[in-house]
Amino acid sequence: MAQIQANKSKAYTAKMKSSSPVKNTGAEWWIVFGAIVLFNLWTRLHKVDQPEWVCWDETHFGKMGSWYINRTFFFDVHPPLGKMFIGAVGYVTGYNGTFPFEKPGDLYHDHNYLGMRVACTLLGACLTPFSFLTVWELTQSITASAFAGVLALFDVGMLILNQYILLDPILLFFISGSTYSMVKFRSYHERPFSVVWWTWLIITGFMLGGAISVKFVGLFVILLVGLNTIEQLWEILGDMSQPISNVIKHFLARAACLIALPIAMYICLFFIHLQVLYKSGNGDGHFSSSFQSALVGNVLHNASMPRHLVFGAIVTLKNHRTGGGYLHSHFHLYPEGVGARQQQVTTYAHKDENNKFIVKKWNDEAPKIYSDEYEKAEVDFVKHGDLIRLEHVITKRNIHSHAEPAPISKKQFQVTGYGDDGIGDANDVWKVEIVGGSEGDVVETVTSKIKLHHYFMKCVLTCSNKQLPKWGYEQQEISCNPTVRDPNALWNVEDNFYPKLPNVSFQNFAPGFVSRFLESHAVMFQGNAGLKPKEGDYTSRPWEWPINFRGQFFSGNDHRIYLLGNPVIWWGNIIFLGLFTATYIWNSILAQRGHEDSLEIQTQKSRTLYAGVWLFIGWALHYVPFWAMGRVLYFHHYFPACLFSSMLTAVILEYILNTILHFIPEKLVKVVYHTFIGIFVGTLWYSFHLFSPLAYGMEATPGHMTNSSVHHLKWIASWEF
Amino acid sequence: MVQLGKSEVNGGSQVRSRKKKVKESEVEQAPLKHLDALELKQKLKERLDIREQRSYGDGDSVPSTPPKENGDVSGDEATETIITKESCSKKKTRSGETKRSEPKKPHHPFVISVQMDFMVGFLFLISLITRLVFLDLPRNVVFDEMHYGKYASLYLKGTFFFDANPPLGKLILALAGYFAGYEGDFEFQKIGVPYPENFPLMTLRLIPALCGSLITPTVYLILGEMGLSNWAGALAALMVVLDTAILAQSRFILLESMMMLFALFAILSVLKFRRFAGAPFSMGWCFWILMTSVNMGLAFSVKFIGIYSCWLCSFLLLRSFWKRLSLKQVSNLQLFFEFSSQAVLICVIPILVYVGSFYIHLSILTKAGVHDSLMTSAFQASLEGGLSSIVDGQPKVIAHGSQITLRHTHGKTCWLHSHEHVYPIRYDDGRGSSHQQQVSCYSYKDVNNWWIVKRPDREDLAVHEPLDSIKDGDTIQLVHGMTHRALNSHDVAAPMSPHNQEITCYIDYNISMASENLWKVQIVNMDNSGEESARVWQSIGSQIRLIHVNTNQAMKFSPRLYPEWGFHQNEVAADKNHDQLDTIWNVEEHRYTKHDEDKRTLERELFNAELIPQTPTYLSFWQKFWELQVKMLITNQDNVQNHNYASYPGEWPFLVRGIAYFISKDSNAQVHLIGNIMIWYTGTLSVLAYSTILIIYLLRRRRLCFDVPEDVFQEFVEVGEVLMAGYLFHFVPFLFYDRTLFIHHYLLAYVFKLMLTAFLMVHIYEIAMNVVSRKWLARLVAIGVVCWILATIYVFVQMSPFCYGFFPMSASQVKSLKWKDTWDFIIHKP
Repeated sequence: MAQIQANKSKAYTAKMKSSSPVKNTGAEWWIVFGAIVLFNLWTRLHKVDQPEWVCWDETHFGKMGSWYINRTFFFDVHPPLGKMFIGAVGYVTGYNGTFPFEKPGDLYHDHNYLGMRVACTLLGACLTPFSFLTVWELTQSITASAFAGVLALFDVGMLILNQYILLDPILLFFISGSTYSMVKFRSYHERPFSVVWWTWLIITGFMLGGAISVKFVGLFVILLVGLNTIEQLWEILGDMSQPISNVIKHFLARAACLIALPIAMYICLFFIHLQVLYKSGNGDGHFSSSFQSALVGNVLHNASMPRHLVFGAIVTLKNHRTGGGYLHSHFHLYPEGVGARQQQVTTYAHKDENNKFIVKKWNDEAPKIYSDEYEKAEVDFVKHGDLIRLEHVITKRNIHSHAEPAPISKKQFQVTGYGDDGIGDANDVWKVEIVGGSEGDVVETVTSKIKLHHYFMKCVLTCSNKQLPKWGYEQQEISCNPTVRDPNALWNVEDNFYPKLPNVSFQNFAPGFVSRFLESHAVMFQGNAGLKPKEGDYTSRPWEWPINFRGQFFSGNDHRIYLLGNPVIWWGNIIFLGLFTATYIWNSILAQRGHEDSLEIQTQKSRTLYAGVWLFIGWALHYVPFWAMGRVLYFHHYFPACLFSSMLTAVILEYILNTILHFIPEKLVKVVYHTFIGIFVGTLWYSFHLFSPLAYGMEATPGHMTNSSVHHLKWIASWEF
Repeated sequence: MVQLGKSEVNGGSQVRSRKKKVKESEVEQAPLKHLDALELKQKLKERLDIREQRSYGDGDSVPSTPPKENGDVSGDEATETIITKESCSKKKTRSGETKRSEPKKPHHPFVISVQMDFMVGFLFLISLITRLVFLDLPRNVVFDEMHYGKYASLYLKGTFFFDANPPLGKLILALAGYFAGYEGDFEFQKIGVPYPENFPLMTLRLIPALCGSLITPTVYLILGEMGLSNWAGALAALMVVLDTAILAQSRFILLESMMMLFALFAILSVLKFRRFAGAPFSMGWCFWILMTSVNMGLAFSVKFIGIYSCWLCSFLLLRSFWKRLSLKQVSNLQLFFEFSSQAVLICVIPILVYVGSFYIHLSILTKAGVHDSLMTSAFQASLEGGLSSIVDGQPKVIAHGSQITLRHTHGKTCWLHSHEHVYPIRYDDGRGSSHQQQVSCYSYKDVNNWWIVKRPDREDLAVHEPLDSIKDGDTIQLVHGMTHRALNSHDVAAPMSPHNQEITCYIDYNISMASENLWKVQIVNMDNSGEESARVWQSIGSQIRLIHVNTNQAMKFSPRLYPEWGFHQNEVAADKNHDQLDTIWNVEEHRYTKHDEDKRTLERELFNAELIPQTPTYLSFWQKFWELQVKMLITNQDNVQNHNYASYPGEWPFLVRGIAYFISKDSNAQVHLIGNIMIWYTGTLSVLAYSTILIIYLLRRRRLCFDVPEDVFQEFVEVGEVLMAGYLFHFVPFLFYDRTLFIHHYLLAYVFKLMLTAFLMVHIYEIAMNVVSRKWLARLVAIGVVCWILATIYVFVQMSPFCYGFFPMSASQVKSLKWKDTWDFIIHKP
């Protein structure tokens, strides 16, 4: 191991030294690069306006773009940058945000969708030059760079995924951009703290910030850059000619640009996100009452009600879990065989008269509001630790629990409405706990999180998150949970009606940016974790991706688009991943055995292995974690990994080519080299040509019919086009 | 050897004088023996701009250490370390002389017995005492004894059962029960049920308790084998004795202590093996590699989570082999043979053990039992009683006129079913249906599960000789026995899975919806012998797909349930993706139609079917074995449910909560699995401390500051390689589990953590003693450790009522022990 590292660093410095005079940035370089970029642009922009209807997830991201234009609040599991970009581009190019994006297949008619598509496509088109340049920085070989460029260019999958209004082109742009700027920054390692050095360091930071702000998958590229940075710092630390303060300077510069900058950027984007979306929308329900009070148009916005809870007040209680409903009861009994035949208590997601309860003392009835007694009575605040009963306003029954199993969560206790005209029994008594509160704290409207402990059963009022059957109108089950730490047992008072107390405007208690930021994240993570595959749904599994096992339909009708990688490239990638691993292990063993190569071979080999290792790490970081994810996965999650895999292929291929050239007579070298290039590019071009109907639209006949135009392309049965 | 000594001297002098820069000449002469050091030097040299020929043999490429006779690197170092440590305590500094003068110990595989000194015996004894006292109390079913005890009983009765874990542990328990004369007649209904008088509770609990007691000396030996001082070993073993969680887990009929013991044996064997790595194919080499693989197999066959120990062992073997690769004097060929023989042994023997345990398992369990319905029809029919008593003697060959029930082969047990009800015209979501007769998959035996196989071109149904047998690829119709409607499919979206096609029993409404009731039989598990007889569809054994002829879609079971209109039965639909487990069906019950005069006689025949006994179904061991493996895999994944005492891996290092194992009916006496919080938190802390210290050492060494002598550093790294890796291997995978986990899953990782803690304590003491060279500091550390031990003992005494579970405690006593808010001890009596 040490041996290899030593060799590596030696070759690394050798590479850097040799790079300056030999650097082949002449005409040849520009011709190859230019040709690839131009052809790339042409393939990406070709037929970009078709189909003229909503494709696949455009229905989500287009819709969210519209919401930005309309300033309507929504909820999504991804961070905001991608959708903000789509919204902004749409706004600039004249899309007015009125198209509903209801479902895939809806025609755009005269809505101006092209701007958004082209913008996404252009970002996606950057992948090819980025691949080219990354490999160039890593290997300084035009051949390898051209391979990388061509592999990115001719991958039909990349083309398809990057041609629509999706987050993926934006994400892939930032991922490959980060990788490129990382290696570019590294190439200036001999000129630390120079202007270019700082520039590329800052660009890397921006790219990372962008990647994480589009999707959380961006975290993986941050890890890649992080590991690479640690390696750099390790090198610098070992440089005994420099004082330790130098290491600290290096460390601080990187910490500022690669950690602080992306974080700042991420937070800023979130700030803009929350500022822009100030109107109430369909995402409200996922957020807490206090969050909602900040949204224009929400019932809680500008509402005014008493700040504190007192005995006798009429309240609604909202479950504090994400998307939690209101405590609810109605004039229906639990059916026969489901615990005691008493009145049902549920949670209900909508506002309703049946959500209202009166807070009473455990031993005293509350005077009716506006009655004489009420006018006389003193205001008595509900405090932490008080014993209360909750009376349902309409049916006059108290919330009650007893030692019967709950209807669905059999290990918990049933909660019912019990009693007559507000008179029940001792099992109606609940003890109020303010989370994080202490003796004497008064329950506050909206902001206090409270738990209701049943006084005798020692359990807490919980929304178990499970749906009741028909007899419960498919509302959610309420139970009394003996596990008192259940996170679903938190409630807050939302409406609070008690005229004697002065009303205060909730504007004043609307949460600040920090708490809204934190809450958004709690909700996002919960949303992400909640994306579990439903029973019986087809879900894509990570093992299917590299082998291109099954694609994904983007569009149907007579312009069918099917997302599928170019099988020649993808299957080749697997082989080269294997080849690389084998080469790497073999070389490690040789090094461990004390084997020595000539300096020339050594240089070439270690350069390749160095490039290969980082690209391999990039691939693994973007692929392996998916194996451990329980959420719903899709085929397109593999594309970031594929990006690295293709670059790795290019690097290894060039290495193999060079090795072959090394063994053949001098005269033949040129011939073999050009033949090889010809065959390589030719094959890829032909396979691209073959599969391009997948991207540019197939006719309606399904592929398994022999008369279909793409029948000959259905190489394996699991491809569904 | 001389050169080696020199390097040590140089290393020492560097430390003493704390030089930051090393002179060129020193570097050249000092062939550092380890590779990290080598790399370091290389960097250094580059910086100092020494341009030399690499072939000069200055130790640049390979350490030019002369070959030792036994070629044993690690073992030698281990013994040397012990000795130097002893000398250190007297002399404060180390020198090469001590090492060189040390004569080499002859290695012998069975030398351990000599080292098994007083300490081992003593540790074993105290753990025996703690684990065995009042072993038969509480005399009630405690926690998972309910399962494992029940399984042991079922073994003794020979009744088949299904469990998601491998059989070895339960087999051992059953064996103990067998010797104690237990006949398996206790039912283990639920936790807390008192055991009957004649139940040999002591014997059954003795096995886990013995295994649990053996863990202590094993831990001691493992640390010894890594070359650590006896103090470290004793400290770690003491922690194992004093930990309440390990104690509680060992005292009841549970499998963890067995699995842990085997796993630790495997690790110990790997460490022993490493001594002999230099003498391949010697007695010791063979013996210890065998021991490793057998113990790996045993651990894995008790509980699947033993797999992590297997990984750890393989990792350690690879590491040791990797070091061996650098020895130039060993030929490539020999290395290749060494590697492949190790690899083969490590792979084959555990598999043999595993398969062997299943062989015993399946040869004992021959009678039908409660879990039968989980298995395929063929499996069930091979058991005595149960399904085999129904299907014995039914005809084998499916022919035109066969009356059959079609079972969904894999996954949920249910049979193709239809009844006199139709699909609603419109579903709730507004889609329309064909309004034809419903077809479903029903989980209970029912007369409506019967279907008649019919050739499309024949009208009579009675079966005559010669049989018109159905073969793979034949087209048939399936007629529902009670309603006489044919199984049909067409291009209408299925009720619950709209992307699939609806399956009905055809009713002709004269609305231009023709019947499409032809199905092609495709036999999935046909042997490709090409013989005509192999292609015949057989009851029970043949697994088939029914492919709808018109649309080329396969009939499949769907996990979705019909709502009320379909009586909450499972949906059946047709899917264009044929290749999935849910499209596989098999015939379970089968008989030939005798009379087909009219509808009535057919129905009557369905009701009063008679059976003629023939030969029973036989399945080979391998068929049964593979079926069980698949089932276990699926069940393991399915196991996602809430449990009151489940916990997340993230909570484990902080001992957030334990598990209530048992509560006495008439007092607060209870068994609660909760660790010794002193040890637990110290352990978590030392994982952090170890990582921090390692990072500090590495960073400092990178700047050429050698804080500790080279051999101390090497020891620090090598111990970490075993213990830290052991901890991570047994802990990290759980973070990615998607199923209910309990804190007892953490115990094996915890044992590694304990060993690391002990090592770290001794390491800090040594640093204080030898490197900082402050006697008072070392004493302070020692006093600290002693105080810590006393505190640990105090905690152990306080918490032990929760392990033994028969001390009646008052509510306030229990409350006073609730040191963390999150601990849920049960208080149900004042």
